[in-house]
Amino acid sequence: MNLTPNSKVIIQGITNTLSTHTAFTMKSYNTNVVAGISPGEGGQAWGNIPVFDLVEQAIAQVGIVDTSIILVPPYAVLDAANEAIAAGIKQIIIVTEGMPPLDVVSLVRKAEATETLVVGPNCAGIIMPGKLLLGTHPTQFYTPGKIGIISRSNTLTYEVAWELTQAKLGQSIAVSIGCDLIVGSSFLQWLEILDEDEHTEAIVLIGEVGGGSEEAAASYIAEAIDKPVIAYVAGVHTPSARVMSHAGSLMTSRASSQQLVGAGTAASKIAAFKAADIPVADCPSAIRGLLKKVLGKK
Amino acid sequence: MDLLEYQAKNLFREMGIPILPSQTIGTPKDLKGLKIPYPVVLKSQVRAGGRGRAGGIKFAGNTIDAVAAAQTIFALPIMNEYPEVILAEAKYDANQELYLAVFLDPVARRPVLLGSKQGGIDVEATMEQMQQVIVGQEFSPFYARRLMIQMGLEGKLIHAVSNIVERMYQLFVEKDLDLIEINPLGISLGGEVMALDGKISVNDQALQRHPELLAVVNYHPHAEIKTKPTAACLETSSNKPTVSLAYADKINRQPLSVVSIGTGNMGILGNGEGLTMATVDLVVQEKGKPANCLNLRLADCIDRVNTTEGGDILPERIDQALDLLIENQQLKVILVNILGYFPEPIVLINLLIDYLKKNQRSPRPIKFVVRLVDGNTAEIQKLVGDLPIDVALSLDEAVHKAVSLAKARD
Repeated sequence: MNLTPNSKVIIQGITNTLSTHTAFTMKSYNTNVVAGISPGEGGQAWGNIPVFDLVEQAIAQVGIVDTSIILVPPYAVLDAANEAIAAGIKQIIIVTEGMPPLDVVSLVRKAEATETLVVGPNCAGIIMPGKLLLGTHPTQFYTPGKIGIISRSNTLTYEVAWELTQAKLGQSIAVSIGCDLIVGSSFLQWLEILDEDEHTEAIVLIGEVGGGSEEAAASYIAEAIDKPVIAYVAGVHTPSARVMSHAGSLMTSRASSQQLVGAGTAASKIAAFKAADIPVADCPSAIRGLLKKVLGKK
Repeated sequence: MDLLEYQAKNLFREMGIPILPSQTIGTPKDLKGLKIPYPVVLKSQVRAGGRGRAGGIKFAGNTIDAVAAAQTIFALPIMNEYPEVILAEAKYDANQELYLAVFLDPVARRPVLLGSKQGGIDVEATMEQMQQVIVGQEFSPFYARRLMIQMGLEGKLIHAVSNIVERMYQLFVEKDLDLIEINPLGISLGGEVMALDGKISVNDQALQRHPELLAVVNYHPHAEIKTKPTAACLETSSNKPTVSLAYADKINRQPLSVVSIGTGNMGILGNGEGLTMATVDLVVQEKGKPANCLNLRLADCIDRVNTTEGGDILPERIDQALDLLIENQQLKVILVNILGYFPEPIVLINLLIDYLKKNQRSPRPIKFVVRLVDGNTAEIQKLVGDLPIDVALSLDEAVHKAVSLAKARD
């Protein structure tokens, strides 16, 4: 995995408003955006970013590309990702919201087979404050430091980061893994990455209602993660109708590999963290206190 | 989006999954023209489970009984939903009933085949015998056969039921389903299989690439309001009972939806589900009483800002969002927490000022508390003047102010 400032980045779907804004924000954050892809618009320059019709054409021109940021419309994402994988790109960040879950499944299968890291869909991507921006995190909320953040949310990540920045608890890396139920890389994968990252001393995990990924993360942290983790879960007071929206049916929710009675609610997630001795913040502004305690112990 | 049983069975028919002869009934009078021989089963077409126990499924041996049963069923709401349609089906004597389903497991990140030898209404019995097979790679019929063996099926049934699972899987993938369930799959003494009930849930995000399914949901064959599948229909999406949808704009854009939380007097407007929910949590922690909340979903908007298509849609979107929140008659205070979207806080403040000026005729004054990240609060208060907009530079402070305001006005 290459997350260094000199890694080469392309943007697929560069000519829409969001991707244009993102491309230029990334460039001004010193990220090495070497090309944009937009079928039918190849051959022009977008600002000073060369645009190509095909990913392979870009690579022929600029050399090996480490990361692609995908900002094409939802039903075109799978194809764009397939094209990036076929061209040998090993890190794909999907910002687009609305990718159908079965497309995500298809992509996950291929990513596993080719050992490609996929972040998202529906995510703000990765920011390493002061070093690298791979996505849409607004840079004003972040400052360099030692706290790693992994989150399912986009804007809630900014809220938490801003709290930490104001408390002089800078961030080593913030990853938004995506709000959807099926995502390319999980809490578990990123916990492992941050546990091994030399710049990260403590981890903040931001979860929300729906699915069982926080419960799975809690067990994993207890078993395998050495660095201190603080958790925060949003949606304690959101009506359960939302939680049930992906349950499908009583049978399938009980039979699914989550296997936990009542999994999916904020309460069950908070209970899982507490059972694993992971401190849980009541609100974003409480995270700093919990972090200072665990960092103080070291 | 959940399909009704008869809609699911139409898809079964297209895919070659055997279903009983049936007819949709829009009013009890329709039974006079029933083309299925008696005895028949009359089934309420609503989305809730447990229809039988609720009295939504009745047998009838002749037209008079059928009409009476239909009248009862049409008048019976199940989980707050009245049936617009009743499905009349030939009665079927199953020797055995199985449970089958295909759904997407988010932890495995794969489709999963589910089956139980004990299908039917006894959930516990079904769960006891439930087997599952995770479809790890591209689907192939052997996955279905594996499930059959795990379920304990033998002989000719293996092929017959496996065939049904293959077709269910194909439908699952072709139509971007979240769930397809047959409970029960009836097996006759002679080994014939029959889908006696069907449940299909289509993934909401994928729905827009299935115009034929949008047409199914928008077409009411017997409703009094004539809604035929038209181009306009293709651009709106279905309604769920607990949230109100409005202003569906172009295809692929999700409409704004208000979520009702309780009987309080505070509305919360945020961008991003996690942030909106977190803001609601903070309000409740401060002993405020939320009435509803709305996720503005601003990422959509960026695409339409400053384009030649329709100019800036942001003001329209904010207006729609506020209108939706204010529909709740108890609402007195709106807390706004929009992060990372407006480079200048003044832009948001001006949008709210515009909204208040447009709605001054409203008899019910609403107070706003806006969370800002930075900005010259004195300058902003001057711009706001007498209008009921207060600002705060931290989320905690904004919540505190909003809750105090809401309490003071009680």
